[in-house]
Amino acid sequence: MTAPGSYNGAEPAPGPGAVIELRNVSRWYGNVVAVNDVSFDLGPGITGLLGPNGAGKSTLLHMLSGFLKPSSGSVTVLGRSAWQNPDLYGQIGLVPERESVYPFLTGREFVVTSARLQGLPDPEAAAARAIHLVEMEQHQHRAAGGYSKGMKQRLKVAAALVHNPSVLLLDEPFNGADPRQRIQMMEMFRRMAAEGCTIVFSSHILEEVERLAQQVLVIVAGRLAASGDFREIRKLMTDRPHTFRVRSSDNRRLASAFVADPAVFGVELDDDFLTVRTSDFAAFTKAAARVARDAEVTLTQLAPSDESLESVFSYLVQR
Amino acid sequence: MNGEVIRLTARQLVAQRRTLLVLLLAAGPLLLAVIYQLSAPKNDADWTQQEFTATALYGVLIVGLLLPLCSLIFGTAALGSEIEDGTAVYLLSKPIPRREILLSKLLVAWLATSAIVVTTTVVAGVVALWGAPQDGIVLGFAVGVALGALVYTAVFLLLSLITGRALIIGLSYVFIWESLITGLFQGTRVLSVREYVVGVADGISTVSPRVLDASLGAGQAVFLAAAVLVGATAFAVRRLQGFEIGEAG
Repeated sequence: MTAPGSYNGAEPAPGPGAVIELRNVSRWYGNVVAVNDVSFDLGPGITGLLGPNGAGKSTLLHMLSGFLKPSSGSVTVLGRSAWQNPDLYGQIGLVPERESVYPFLTGREFVVTSARLQGLPDPEAAAARAIHLVEMEQHQHRAAGGYSKGMKQRLKVAAALVHNPSVLLLDEPFNGADPRQRIQMMEMFRRMAAEGCTIVFSSHILEEVERLAQQVLVIVAGRLAASGDFREIRKLMTDRPHTFRVRSSDNRRLASAFVADPAVFGVELDDDFLTVRTSDFAAFTKAAARVARDAEVTLTQLAPSDESLESVFSYLVQR
Repeated sequence: MNGEVIRLTARQLVAQRRTLLVLLLAAGPLLLAVIYQLSAPKNDADWTQQEFTATALYGVLIVGLLLPLCSLIFGTAALGSEIEDGTAVYLLSKPIPRREILLSKLLVAWLATSAIVVTTTVVAGVVALWGAPQDGIVLGFAVGVALGALVYTAVFLLLSLITGRALIIGLSYVFIWESLITGLFQGTRVLSVREYVVGVADGISTVSPRVLDASLGAGQAVFLAAAVLVGATAFAVRRLQGFEIGEAG
């Protein structure tokens, strides 16, 4: 893992306990670059792969799982090349993003099949344990084709865990899961990480990554925008300049009042609203009402205008 | 070969709606044989039971239509449908050599095709030739279609690894190459699975050339079939070993 808050272009030194190593990995499809010169090392624990849709997270995960060949650079897992190395799958568990499962198998048969394909000595017992872990005992004898999205997701996780892998790769694992299932799966992943498992999961939802990942890799437009401890990354995201759109009974007077506020560094007066720029999100949201009251102006709207994940990521890339 | 891959593939093929279509197709030759046996004059010097069986029943319906279509459906479904619906990832993410996966898939596709086509060949042939000497026609074609099924399924399995439109391309191959081009140009018959089947059948049967006259000798047919089988399988193994699963995002 690179230092907290470090950025693309910095070559990380190989970590002594690195389970996953990427060195200058790029992947392109024709003229389209999906992943661009990414390097990092990952050890045991939970790492979140965060980025907007289309950022290259799935491409990265597919390269980690040996399903995509890097166009350049190298991907090694447990010291071996991930590409064209089926033996590695004995130690890797993979949860793909697509929700497809064999519809003609029951949930139980799906996991038992996975255990048999892994060559486990007691596939039935291993499947029972994995099904118990994801709390699917109640539905295990139903055809998997009729499962809800969340149940399919848990089934896929059970199949990926059945051989007790030391590396678990999950592509958007919480898609379709309800809040209770989400919490249950997160607890399970935390336990596995505590036991030494290396878990990498992708998500485009900041809160999911915040709740689960100790480390985070932020991928934007195929590049590693930031990597390191989640709190550091989060701080960078929170401390960035924020823009608010404000409507009031007297925009001109309110603009003058905001200019004097230390949390504000820019105010623009438009036709019927103000655009206010602040470097301190929390301080400004606390001060806005007081400033308006002191200026004897009625606030009718106060809304952040750049809070999309894409704008947060864009900011990180520009840094 | 891998027992679990074989089991999974067999269940997958059985569960598909396409299998029902294959069974319906197989009913065609059986029905024709029954109708022929019940209605056609048996001592017509111009159209004997043997000629009807070898030419119309086997040559056109079974070897020309049922065998390639059945092979196409099972050959492309054995792996292609998993690739299409995204379940291939569960199989390919296991510590099993890709060669083993492919050979297991090929075995199931071949056995499924053979089970239907060879059974149809034998039953329809016995019905159509009822009361007439078989002279090895049924046996010859049964062996021939079993061999043809192996070659065809290997080719169509490979096709499903090369393109997502394997079914359409396979149909074009069957109807344009096998039915039209090899009928028009003698030289192209060395590259026709249909000709290999007829060559093997002709080599085993003892009927006169008036009934069955293949353009390839049995030895030549077996050699060419083996070459295509080995080539297609080796290429498919190579293709699967380098097979990529990727998604944008």
